[in-house]
Amino acid sequence: MGLLDYYRQFEEVPEEEVNRELRAEAAERRRKALTRVATLDLSQTTWPDLPHANISSAITFTARRGLQRYPHLRGSELRGELAERHQVPVERLIIGNGAAELLSSATRALIEPGQELITSWPSYPLYPIMARRAHGRAVPVGGGVDALLSAAQSADARVVALASPNDPTGELLASGELGRLLAGLPEGVAVLLDEALVEFSDSQPHDASLALLENNSRLLVFRSFSKAWGLAGIRIGYAIGGPGSEELLAELEPDLGVSEVSQSGALEALRSGIDSMTHHVHSVREERTRLAAALRERHFDVADSQANFLWVAHSELDGSELATRLRQAGVLVAAGAPLGEPHHVRIALRNAATTERLLSAIDKALAQAA
Amino acid sequence: MRSDPSDNGGLFAGRRPGTAPVHFRELPKRGSATRRRIDRHMAELLFAAITLLSLLCWGPIPAACLWVGAQVNYLTSSVSLGILLAFVALFTLLFGALRVMRELDQMWILVRRAAGYDQRSGVVGRIFAITAAICASGFMVWFIFIHGPGSSFISGNGGM
Repeated sequence: MGLLDYYRQFEEVPEEEVNRELRAEAAERRRKALTRVATLDLSQTTWPDLPHANISSAITFTARRGLQRYPHLRGSELRGELAERHQVPVERLIIGNGAAELLSSATRALIEPGQELITSWPSYPLYPIMARRAHGRAVPVGGGVDALLSAAQSADARVVALASPNDPTGELLASGELGRLLAGLPEGVAVLLDEALVEFSDSQPHDASLALLENNSRLLVFRSFSKAWGLAGIRIGYAIGGPGSEELLAELEPDLGVSEVSQSGALEALRSGIDSMTHHVHSVREERTRLAAALRERHFDVADSQANFLWVAHSELDGSELATRLRQAGVLVAAGAPLGEPHHVRIALRNAATTERLLSAIDKALAQAA
Repeated sequence: MRSDPSDNGGLFAGRRPGTAPVHFRELPKRGSATRRRIDRHMAELLFAAITLLSLLCWGPIPAACLWVGAQVNYLTSSVSLGILLAFVALFTLLFGALRVMRELDQMWILVRRAAGYDQRSGVVGRIFAITAAICASGFMVWFIFIHGPGSSFISGNGGM
């Protein structure tokens, strides 16, 4: 480096030039931000939008009022509100840290080591895990109520765990079929009915299964605030039993109750979040019909769904391959391979815009396959 | 004028005007300690040169120009020509000196940075103002007390 070059390296870049470069960089950032399309995640069954502002406010208010206190052990206010909503005595309704925890507790309470939990398959992957944790055995059964009744004749059968609507198929167990199942089950076999997605169904009243509780003390129904209510983060679920189930329900309750913050969020959801939940459910139902028709036009096999997703398969495209191609197009769906159904994918439903984008991605995926 | 607060990344915290770091095209490779010491002395020399040039502007250059004008007047017997040439010489020399001072000031900034100082601005403006004040004060002392009316008062002959 020459003498003058040595000193020239200390020359300042003029401010106009610096600003021009910064403006060019900012414009480039903006251009990239505008052209970047966020991935559309349709692999999750939870609702992606924020809950009603009143729910967040109620949670904040409760948190500010006093986190140093223990919550009310039995969550009496929320229990009362839920019992009134479902027209059941408050003693027959308990709340827990999500429906999944209550289902696990029920399995542990009902199953002795080596006994069987029967479940239809494919279904929610938690059910076999619940059986293992209770040192029991999961018996997955393909088919409908008849297959379940047949499997339940085993001497070791103690629990039938069912999701209605079923995850991932979306199939709803009609109350008539549930009644037939309950009537045909051997003495000592209980039914755990997971209705976490029931708000999305429209083929029968939401509380149709609850009507069966009056004459079936072996039936426990589980509901959740995680799906249609969009409150997965606060982990609140509840269980309802028939007459005579009070003792079992008391056994399932969390030992030290449910977080007061979570309870306040769920309570506020019941009071001011019904409209937004209903709007969201209607949107899902509309898109369910529209997307199912559009997919059938494209030669997909679409299961009749009463949930917030569709369980689909294509004769010419493997499920994993379809999921991979959709991911390349910026849309995530859940592949069925982990559930032993490699030809299927589960696609969550949102709104008209997401349906359009999904169909566009599917058309691209099918064009690649052709 | 920038009015979008998100232009600064969403933060409202910014620098005070004039405190932004100096932008170099590339990170300068600094010399050894000896070289920085030499650069420091060179910066002092440049400072002295600027000061000297500035002082010239307030006395010697105008005086020299007046002398040139007087010589022209004497040789050509033309007062107008003498005044004209004196003014041409004065402006040429003054503006030439200012230009040289500005170049020296730029060099002084670079040499100061090379010597390890975070030198943001030049010094020529302040030097020019200070030398003007010094020369004006000196001229006033000379004019009032030495050569002008003050000398008459001091010697006791004023008004006689």
